[in-house]
Amino acid sequence: MTKRVLIIDDANLVRMYYRDALQRAGYETAEAMNGLEALEYLLAQPADLLIVDVNMPTMDGLTFLRALRRQALPLAATPALVTSTEAAQVDINAARAAGANFYLVKPIAQDLFLRYVALLCGGAPQGASR
Amino acid sequence: MPLIRKDAASSAPAREHADLLRSDDADERWRAARSLATSPAGAAALGAALAGEQDPRVREAIFTSLARLGAVDSVLPHLRSDDANLRTGALDALRAMTDAVRPHLRSLLADPDPDVRLLSCELTRALPAREANSLMIEVIDREAHANVCASAVDVLAELGEATAIASLERCATRFAGQGFLPFAIQVAIERIKAQQEATDG
Repeated sequence: MTKRVLIIDDANLVRMYYRDALQRAGYETAEAMNGLEALEYLLAQPADLLIVDVNMPTMDGLTFLRALRRQALPLAATPALVTSTEAAQVDINAARAAGANFYLVKPIAQDLFLRYVALLCGGAPQGASR
Repeated sequence: MPLIRKDAASSAPAREHADLLRSDDADERWRAARSLATSPAGAAALGAALAGEQDPRVREAIFTSLARLGAVDSVLPHLRSDDANLRTGALDALRAMTDAVRPHLRSLLADPDPDVRLLSCELTRALPAREANSLMIEVIDREAHANVCASAVDVLAELGEATAIASLERCATRFAGQGFLPFAIQVAIERIKAQQEATDG
């Protein structure tokens, strides 16, 4: 079954970059521009994985993750790969405390990105057309 | 003399509200923050209260009041916060006071901290397209940090003009080894060219 990945990032070109990599690897994608949009999306339909930016308008990624982890299961357990330009240990620790499963510092190469996505989705990349 | 009396009279309630920003009662802090939205004398107290304020509703009220006051100097320090929620609130507040932020933009875009430069690129989206285009060209021509360039390229993809293309191409060459930037620059150039063609008819 095709895995659905929700990309949460306010940068249009970053969303496009992830979408390009994910769709070529056989994933289904959806997008949100901030944490609030993502929460609204997830309350309507689930995702198998979340790609979460940190600095976003309206609701930042860590506030979103804390809100997500307070929801009922299975929604609260949705794995989250946090991607951010913030590279300091304090930022990584804050993301982990908020509920991130992995933290990658931007810029991120597509092959590395897909390896983490596959890991969090529970297997090898889908479709393998990349 | 009347002016002096008026100032003294108007700053007294501001001091009271500023004191209430330190109350143990979140509702009281929230009301104080809202009350200070029309008191320039309260801007420093609002800015100082942000660092210790943990209640999201009070934080939002403080940022809203600071935005209404156009109190850039009280908001800017929070762009450097380790707290993502504070950074986001500061950025949202600064977006809401474009005219007050404008004189600070060049120095923000040249700040020693790349995270501040990166976030400041976002603030140019509210400027007229030609002004944003010019500032972002300056950034990508001199910037050594890939993520700051990426932020500038994202702005140029939306607001960029043909004059940005040569700088974008040079930036793509400088960061040829970075997967994301060449991808983003290619998209930005395609969009600018498409926009140019549409404008030229």
